Amino acid sequence: MEPGYRAIGMNSQNPSRSETVKAEPEATATGPFLELRGIHKRFAGVYALRGIDLTIEAGEIYHLMGENGCGKSTLIKIISGALSPDEGSILIGGREVVLSPIGALSAGVETVYQDLSLLPNLSVAENTALSQQLVESEGRLARRIDRARLMDTAVKALAAVGLPTDARFCATAVEELPIATRQLVAIARAIATDAKLVIMDEPTSALTRREVENLIGVVDRLRAGGVAVLFVSHKLDESKSIGGRFIVMRDGAKVMEGNIADHSKSELSYWMTGKTLDVARYRHAAHGGEPLLEVNRLGRTGAFKDVSFALARGEIIGITGLLDSGRNELARALVGVNPADSGTIQLAGRPITLRRPIDAIDAGIGYVPEDRLSEGLFLEKPVRSNIVAEVLGQLVDRFGKIDVGRSRTLATKIAADLQIVAANLDNPVQSLSGGNQQRVLIGRGLTIDPKLFVLHGPTVGVDVGSKDTIFRIIQKLAGDGMGVILVSDDMPELLQNCDRIIVMRKGMIAETFEAENVDEDTLYHSLLLER
Amino acid sequence: MQTSMAGLSGWLIRHPPLFTLLLIVLVSLVIGAISPQFWQMANLFDMARASVVTGLFGLGFLVVLAAGGIDMSFTAIAALLMYWLTTATAAYAPWMPMGVVLAAAAVGGMLLGMCNGLLVHYLKAPALIVTIGTQYVIRSFLLTFVGTELFVNIPMSIENFGKYEIWRVGTDNGSIAILPAYVLVLVVAAIVTWWILNRTLMGRAIFAIGGNSDIAERLGYDIRKVQVFAFAYSGLLAGIAGMLHVSSNRLANPFDLSGTEMGVIAAVVLGGARITGGSGTVAGTLLGVVLITLVNNVLILAGIPSTWQAFVVGCFIVLAGALFATREKR
Repeated sequence: MEPGYRAIGMNSQNPSRSETVKAEPEATATGPFLELRGIHKRFAGVYALRGIDLTIEAGEIYHLMGENGCGKSTLIKIISGALSPDEGSILIGGREVVLSPIGALSAGVETVYQDLSLLPNLSVAENTALSQQLVESEGRLARRIDRARLMDTAVKALAAVGLPTDARFCATAVEELPIATRQLVAIARAIATDAKLVIMDEPTSALTRREVENLIGVVDRLRAGGVAVLFVSHKLDESKSIGGRFIVMRDGAKVMEGNIADHSKSELSYWMTGKTLDVARYRHAAHGGEPLLEVNRLGRTGAFKDVSFALARGEIIGITGLLDSGRNELARALVGVNPADSGTIQLAGRPITLRRPIDAIDAGIGYVPEDRLSEGLFLEKPVRSNIVAEVLGQLVDRFGKIDVGRSRTLATKIAADLQIVAANLDNPVQSLSGGNQQRVLIGRGLTIDPKLFVLHGPTVGVDVGSKDTIFRIIQKLAGDGMGVILVSDDMPELLQNCDRIIVMRKGMIAETFEAENVDEDTLYHSLLLER
Repeated sequence: MQTSMAGLSGWLIRHPPLFTLLLIVLVSLVIGAISPQFWQMANLFDMARASVVTGLFGLGFLVVLAAGGIDMSFTAIAALLMYWLTTATAAYAPWMPMGVVLAAAAVGGMLLGMCNGLLVHYLKAPALIVTIGTQYVIRSFLLTFVGTELFVNIPMSIENFGKYEIWRVGTDNGSIAILPAYVLVLVVAAIVTWWILNRTLMGRAIFAIGGNSDIAERLGYDIRKVQVFAFAYSGLLAGIAGMLHVSSNRLANPFDLSGTEMGVIAAVVLGGARITGGSGTVAGTLLGVVLITLVNNVLILAGIPSTWQAFVVGCFIVLAGALFATREKR
């Protein structure tokens, strides 16, 4: 079936398109696909990029690495035509060009943004292939849609990323798809129109290991077809398993590049941060042993069942599993967001019932949600308000007005404890980097002085340096006697931080490991095992 | 994921207009059983006639809603144009053919709609607020500068347009039932609206922007063009609807149409369009219009006092809202 679709797709290309295809070998003959020479970019006098030289060859994979704020996003915006450089030149196929967004697209530079930029209510086919007709009409809308061509383009692109191409799938609204499939649809759109360079901004942050492997397969096929791929990612393990070339940036400059296979993870993170990080286990202290949490046969219909485990004071337990394993639902049940409907929970010897988040807060359970942007932060509100949001009741004076002075004192103390870097605690929290935003959330959890802390994906989209800080904070909290539950699909994170790791499959606890005596591969296999 | 919910409710959730269709069938069966009059041609023709103006308003509202906006000013636009054009034609050019008058109403409505679109775009204000404002302004302009009196001497061409028939049936009790030709205007408008929404780049751009305007803008859709188009289209249909209202009633009352917005919005929402934008279909909207017209016109046949109409419509809306909300919560 697939070859048939492909053949249709090829035949349907219009004349102007086959011309660009013909031009390609010529371009590769004259030099690399894309070349940046001495790119400088300043914002209000502050350097974002200082003299970046970069060469991107067709059919190569690149990993752009660096901490938040190192200039990666600025560089990507320059390559995709969204920003123009203050100095320096951009060459495509050896010829100097001035890139506009449309210009970059027609040169074959496609960007898959972190938020995917899909239109939720439009169909898979429209999301994949409508842009082609929009770009060709130069943005004019009084045009009939060529539906046959739309389907041809969509089917070809969907097949290329390994998605179904039947009419039913093509007509499905994107909002009804799981996140991993959406990711592939976004990539299908990127390659639907003769892409030569696909930039992927943190494409795997929402994916499980198996989905990441599928994505890697897609990237391999792209590369084999002569497309260059530029990854932006914080996950060193993943970059190493994908392979290819790497570019490390720090403070707006390129500090190192080379073949990723030739360098160790600690070397890479040293170049990124400029300091040596302890990538070995953070977990050293043995926990106290006094029981804190006892979960007995906890269940929630359609999500998980029969979950029993115990957690001691000062212990760190990791919970992992695939996206459909019930790990997320379990985490949310433990903090009253989506309550369990069977089983019991005991905290410090007392049975507790968690029907709503406030029950968990009252019981002394702190929570850092999975998606800090949509579940955690009031993005436009000041850092200070975000930190104190859970304890407003304690900050009001007798007229019911919030005591700004006390709120400030509390926020300042938390910010200092957690090394939150903010120019001013009255700035909106969205102005902070991902790592600092995450620390704001951890800080908010700490304001209630929790006995138990549930952290859900605490380092998703956080750079290496911030990760280190966050891990140290977690260890310190456990050292002070707090019980910590770490829900995550980042294996190294679990191995470095936990005492025990619980693996869930199909809504149940499948296996429990002592973190010290298990390696990543064993853990992955347990994760993927089918019963 | 939803297989456990299979069966009727699952189906209805995935295809909102079916819920409306089901309600239509239920209401028809119940009322048909109580009063055999319901199934007579005269009654069906009456309903077709009564749904034309609501239908045109509904199609316009659908387009604005799909683009993520809300239009509260369409009844005011319709009232202004119908009264102004009718009195002006009668006074200065009673010989003017209806086609020209309709075209003038369409253009006038379009221009007023464009003003709405430009205001919404450049003020970056919620469309709800802006169009409530323009509704007041337009209505006040009509009553202050154009007139407040009931106007009955409407020009012949306008009156005759309402009399063209496409179907005449004799009924059992000796009277005749007539289906007026102007219902075809709704049919044509529905087809054109469907074609624009589903077969043109503009149509898909409307849904794209209604779905998520930030992303649509990043992908190169021109938000200003889409907003201006959506409001202009709504205004255009409102202008035409206003003239048809005069034609069918054979009088022009400047206080007419005011307050019918809610019924139109109810019809579109019952037709499965999300009030938050980015969805909705022409077929669903027409079903919603039929349901509202049905409730407004036939409850009386079943001996239910007309004061209960709003109660029934209200219950349907709450029911539909609850059902469609389940769809979003997944």
